[in-house]
Amino acid sequence: MSEVDRPEFDSSEFDPHGMNPEDFLDEVHSFEFWFQAVEGYLTDNPYGHESGDEPISDRPDDLTESDKDSLITTLCNYCVGETAALEGASGMIAIAPNRHSKIFLATQVVDEARHLEVFLRRLQDLGVTDPEGEIERRANPTLQVFKRRLLELVKAGDWSAALLAQNVILESMEHAAFLVHATTADPVTAQILNGVMKDERRHLGFGENDLGRLLSEHPGNRRRLADIRHEMDGLVLAVFSRAADDLPGDASMREAMGREYIETMDRLGLV
Amino acid sequence: MNDPNEQAVLSEVPRQTFELEECGFREVPKKWRKFYRHWEGPGDELGPNEIICPVCKVVIRSKREIRVGDRLYCMPCMSRMIVVLGEDGTLQTDVTY
Ligand SMILES: [Fe+2]
Ligand SMILES: [Fe+2]
Repeated sequence: MSEVDRPEFDSSEFDPHGMNPEDFLDEVHSFEFWFQAVEGYLTDNPYGHESGDEPISDRPDDLTESDKDSLITTLCNYCVGETAALEGASGMIAIAPNRHSKIFLATQVVDEARHLEVFLRRLQDLGVTDPEGEIERRANPTLQVFKRRLLELVKAGDWSAALLAQNVILESMEHAAFLVHATTADPVTAQILNGVMKDERRHLGFGENDLGRLLSEHPGNRRRLADIRHEMDGLVLAVFSRAADDLPGDASMREAMGREYIETMDRLGLV
Repeated sequence: MNDPNEQAVLSEVPRQTFELEECGFREVPKKWRKFYRHWEGPGDELGPNEIICPVCKVVIRSKREIRVGDRLYCMPCMSRMIVVLGEDGTLQTDVTY
């Protein structure tokens, strides 16, 4: 990479762009990096939002009964997605091919557990007394199919396919939904979603970059993974068209999110 | 910077340098925070030392003016990229896995 114009790296003057590639990968996959990053935005935000003087359930919001009902359904589906990610990421630690991925996935497991917890907590704030039962009743069946398929790939020990399904497809789907939802959500839900999206940036980036490295080392995998992508795209579309009924947000924003997903697949050559 | 020739001429000119300060971006450890900021959308104009990460859409910042061939790292999404000249003459990035 001699044509690359690279600044001299002076360790006394931190500059990420001057790091050598191995040091950069060591840093961003590390537990220490994760810990200092989440400390920056989780401290003083118990359950993903600023704590006020009064209990959250006593704070006024502008939600009508029908808004509240739609929000509960949406949060139930988020809980299914987060449970899939929690189980998926934890199962993937055992099949991850290297120490970077294992350590990173351990941090992702904690992130996903937090996401599940904050969404369950929000359901309780909205008056849901039996969140588990409510999730059972309201969950989108296609999302459940996606979750089963993802866990099958993990169980089969298929690292590249699991990484694609979990850290690229599922994370993209969640990120798109949260981003659109956060623009119209009530303030507490919006704060929770914005905090969750900060974590998703790491998860998505890990998925694309690790898969990208794997595909450049083993280009023969590309056809098979493109087929898995197309199989799962059908489920993703079905989840989105159903979610659109419950999720407010303007169509142009949804289209923009769809474009981001397609750009990711193009960069990876999974077309 | 719409003309590729302008880019070539500019490369002879010494680079501008910048003193970076934190802009409220807290998604990386403290020592790296000033190298990134949130992108505020289409009206948010980038400085000559800034470029948008194609993967996570965070603004990546450098201590010096960004030019073709520079290597940049996006810590929030762990992407590595090289700065290239886009077909429209603007600076863009190619993610290098
Ligand atoms: Fe999550
Ligand atoms: Fe990024």
